[in-house]
Amino acid sequence: MAILVTEKTKILVQGITGKEGSKVALQMQNYGTKVLAGVTPGKGGQEVHGVPVYNTVAEALENHPGINTSFVAVPNFTAFGAIKEAVEAQIALINILTEHIPIQDTAKAIALAKEAGVRIVGPSSIGIISPGIGKVGSIGGDDPRGVFRKGSVGVISKSGGMASEVSWILTQTGMGQSTVIGIGGDILEGSSFVDLLEEFEKDPQTESVVIFGEIGGTYEEEAAEFIKSGNPSTRSARSGPRFTKPVVAFISGLFAETLPQGTKLGHAGAIVYGEKGSYKSKIKALEEAGVKIAKTPDEIPELLKNT
Amino acid sequence: MLLFEFEGKTLFKKCGIQIPKSQLIEPESQRVTIKPPLVLKAQVLSGKRADAGGIIKVEEQVEIQGKLVEIFSKTINGEKVERVLVEEMVEIEKEYYLSFSYSTEVRGPILTFTENGGTGIEEKGAKSFPVDILKGFHGENVPEKLKDTALKLWEVFTKYDCELAEINPLVVDKQGKAWALDSKVILDDDADFRREEKFPERNLFGRAPTGREIEARKIDEGDHRGTAGSVYWDLEGDIAVIAAGGGGSIVNMDALLAFGGKPANYTEHSGNPPREKLKKLTKIVLSKPGLKGCWFVGGTANFTDIYETLMGFVEGLREIKPKPDYSIVIRRGGPRDKEAFEVLSEIGKKEGFDFHIFGRETPMTSTAKIMVDLAYGNTSN
Repeated sequence: MAILVTEKTKILVQGITGKEGSKVALQMQNYGTKVLAGVTPGKGGQEVHGVPVYNTVAEALENHPGINTSFVAVPNFTAFGAIKEAVEAQIALINILTEHIPIQDTAKAIALAKEAGVRIVGPSSIGIISPGIGKVGSIGGDDPRGVFRKGSVGVISKSGGMASEVSWILTQTGMGQSTVIGIGGDILEGSSFVDLLEEFEKDPQTESVVIFGEIGGTYEEEAAEFIKSGNPSTRSARSGPRFTKPVVAFISGLFAETLPQGTKLGHAGAIVYGEKGSYKSKIKALEEAGVKIAKTPDEIPELLKNT
Repeated sequence: MLLFEFEGKTLFKKCGIQIPKSQLIEPESQRVTIKPPLVLKAQVLSGKRADAGGIIKVEEQVEIQGKLVEIFSKTINGEKVERVLVEEMVEIEKEYYLSFSYSTEVRGPILTFTENGGTGIEEKGAKSFPVDILKGFHGENVPEKLKDTALKLWEVFTKYDCELAEINPLVVDKQGKAWALDSKVILDDDADFRREEKFPERNLFGRAPTGREIEARKIDEGDHRGTAGSVYWDLEGDIAVIAAGGGGSIVNMDALLAFGGKPANYTEHSGNPPREKLKKLTKIVLSKPGLKGCWFVGGTANFTDIYETLMGFVEGLREIKPKPDYSIVIRRGGPRDKEAFEVLSEIGKKEGFDFHIFGRETPMTSTAKIMVDLAYGNTSN
């Protein structure tokens, strides 16, 4: 069954006339995913790869009421407006490729999505792929078939490149993936590890999950808390959903901790002030929750087999 | 971007937060016009400035010159003092800590407040409260007498797109007036395009940016096709690194350190940058003297054209004088990788480069060990 991207996924591309938008629209079509419409203000009436373009999201929805997913590939300075439109149109899943969105805009977008009860994955997300079923975003590029393979491992990664690299390592050892998600490496992200672990818990196709995390923030620690809730030896009295499937994690960023605090690296979220969000804090929390830690990405398949 | 105290205070002032009468001394020879009692404050970016002797109180007029010479001669946590902020002394009745920042836990802004300001607030039981970013901050969770300052700080935080706006200490004097005695402001670089206030480049390493750092950051200017070099740091090692991917690059740096490699730099490229960008980046990275190896490394790319980026690398490599005789380890996967590797190994043979080429079948991080062994002449394997 997979999560987020299924046979029912019908996509709107916001920014479809742009370089990334049009390229990814074609990639998604080639992978068998239905792209119903695109939006670029002022370019309504055009077509991109046979997909009709509208001026507004509302207009696209009027003509294609089946749309349930939006892929956002607009410049950072117009991103908030684009996301707001998608949220107001109640599109259930909004995947944001755009990088360098001001954090204030991201915070507002997340708050709006929460109020409206829709899900954001991103910003700075490489996308979501359910191998053999479909994909949203640029994950897997032109030919995801070489890297991804249908199976039972769920993958959640802060890094887009590592989402693919981890999947490729799994595929090489004969382990397919149910759904692979790049959540993005910004400080604030619409979907955290916990949000997606909840979905994987409900998905019968997913038997185990790989988490690719990085220093900075608290998403890994929160995931550890959630995983703890379903581990028989560490189970707490907390109510609500529990996570019961095996998890293997890889955390990067030891190098970053050799640099002065606050040094910016490739991902905005990979920044540590004080002890909070450090490598040590994340590894400790995850180990306490019974998560197996891979020291290099290549160890992941072996650790999964032994869970 | 982390601002100096005096820069942060200019933003505070614009939003009406009360700050002591002050004067920025730069250079040292400038005359102090503020009358004692006053405080000399070294303008450095590192924290714990007071503990490192970066704040000196002056009670008498005759002491000013001597103390000024003293503070300008200091190096605070590795950072040379180049500017000093002179401020009138405020009589402190009580100290507080107040800040707005973003929290991954609530995925939005938070207000952090404690009745005990000063250094080491982490241990002083500061409380954080989420702020509804859609409704804004209206003075919740702070005492009445600080409400006005808190509202103004929220204005600073949102108007100037800050990641952090902090007053520590926020003090109340005997007359009940609130003063911001210090400022710590981190601006969100992603919002630079809409912020009118511009601040000059600075470097968190406590030194001026190196020529290579400046040059590398220029590569992306005015060219939005992918990114290359906009994050570049010179390090003290001898293995040049050209890594791909914001996440993958860190994984690989971790691996290089784990195997005992000493990186000469950190940089990354991603998002399918054109050939010219890689050419420029390669020339900058390999311009460093004393290199023992070069590691071009990345995972299995989603959409970065491996042929184009590697050809850019070769074009840059060809221009390095003297011609590199050290080992060059390449590990990459993704679109057009096989085509790239074929051409590359031909070029290596023909032009005499010591290429060691690995594709997606070789674990990315295992090439860190190969690089370290080749660079440091470890022939045991």
